[in-house]
Amino acid sequence: MSAAPPPVRPAAQVTDGDAMLVERAVAGDQGAFELLVIKYQRRIQRLIGRLVRDVDLVEDIAQETFIRAYRALHQFRGEAQFYTWLYRIAVNTAKKFLMELKRDPTVSHSAAQSDEDGDETSWPGNELISDETPESVLAAKEIATAVNDALEALPQDLREALTLREIEGLSYEEIADLMNCPIGTVRSRIFRAREAISAKVKPMLEKQTGKRW
Amino acid sequence: MREAENNRELLSALADGQLRGAEFAHTVQWLGETDDARLTWHAYHLVGDVLRSGETMASDRDAAFVRRLKLSLQREAVPTLPFSATDSIAAHAENSGAAGLYEPKRGSANQSRFGWQLAAGLASLAVMSIMAWQVGDWRNQGAAAQLAQVPVQPATQQVASGAQTPIMIRDPRLDSLLAAHRQFGGTSALQMPAGFVRNATFEGAAR
Repeated sequence: MSAAPPPVRPAAQVTDGDAMLVERAVAGDQGAFELLVIKYQRRIQRLIGRLVRDVDLVEDIAQETFIRAYRALHQFRGEAQFYTWLYRIAVNTAKKFLMELKRDPTVSHSAAQSDEDGDETSWPGNELISDETPESVLAAKEIATAVNDALEALPQDLREALTLREIEGLSYEEIADLMNCPIGTVRSRIFRAREAISAKVKPMLEKQTGKRW
Repeated sequence: MREAENNRELLSALADGQLRGAEFAHTVQWLGETDDARLTWHAYHLVGDVLRSGETMASDRDAAFVRRLKLSLQREAVPTLPFSATDSIAAHAENSGAAGLYEPKRGSANQSRFGWQLAAGLASLAVMSIMAWQVGDWRNQGAAAQLAQVPVQPATQQVASGAQTPIMIRDPRLDSLLAAHRQFGGTSALQMPAGFVRNATFEGAAR
């Protein structure tokens, strides 16, 4: 680790890539939009799980959220982060869904207002949402354990690079400054760290979901 | 083997929003072609989610969710592309040498808006025409009203002098009276109940 501690900032993703994927999706490449879905589906489902008491609705609302986002994709100007834009669609979709069903939208006002920039993981009560079985809950915990164990087993430079990127949300340039190395080295270290962790995780994912994506 | 590793490194950089141009186009294309690439994309983001949350975020239904959504999206029309974004992508594809792969659909970019613009233009023209006609009509009416208010001068008070400039002939006694009472100049006209005086002012020079 470098002597100087990294500046504290929210763990936000660099969104230029998101905006470029949006452009491709708007140009007719539906696969680009699916990449965004894969990236954000868990966060969106967790968000909706905070807003809706009925866990059976979570997946339906998440589906509707992404469909609405796809329809309105040409309106996304890149002025806000893509996740912030998606977040608002998810909240509005959840409210509309519940109003149509004439149920009480058990919206946690503080949850709905806080942290629109994307770190819903800071909300209290971070329990799993949706009607998962005990087996799937156990499997998810095994994956989390595998990820954390694999991170601990990484060489120091790889662990530091990945931590600065994923947890601190720093850009490659900032990480290069902190680690006093070229940007290309940062990119390589982050990749190798991900590869090492994914090598532990991917067999579990394949066992759960198969290879078909 | 080496190529696959290179592709995964590009994918890792894409996950961090670090790719541009040809690398971006190549990696997205590769992601669209192989399930393993998409599984890797999923795994990379899952690792990030787990690291950030510190808890379990994996779901055995992630893949099923995407498949279900994919079926729904196939029934959706392609969202309309804004002109600027089209240009950007066209330039991007051109720069990356992948123009043929990502042909933007430019023909329909503003097609839906064109009809409204035409209708709005015609409506504006009609409104402007009506307004112009009304204003012209009002001016004519105003001029007629002003003419109606011009007092008719008795013919006996005007003598045609060379038929060009009408001259008001006034009683000299009136002039001397006005000269003697200039202190009443606060009123522009001296309205006296004299039978021979219609209007008299002190502004003699202007007359």
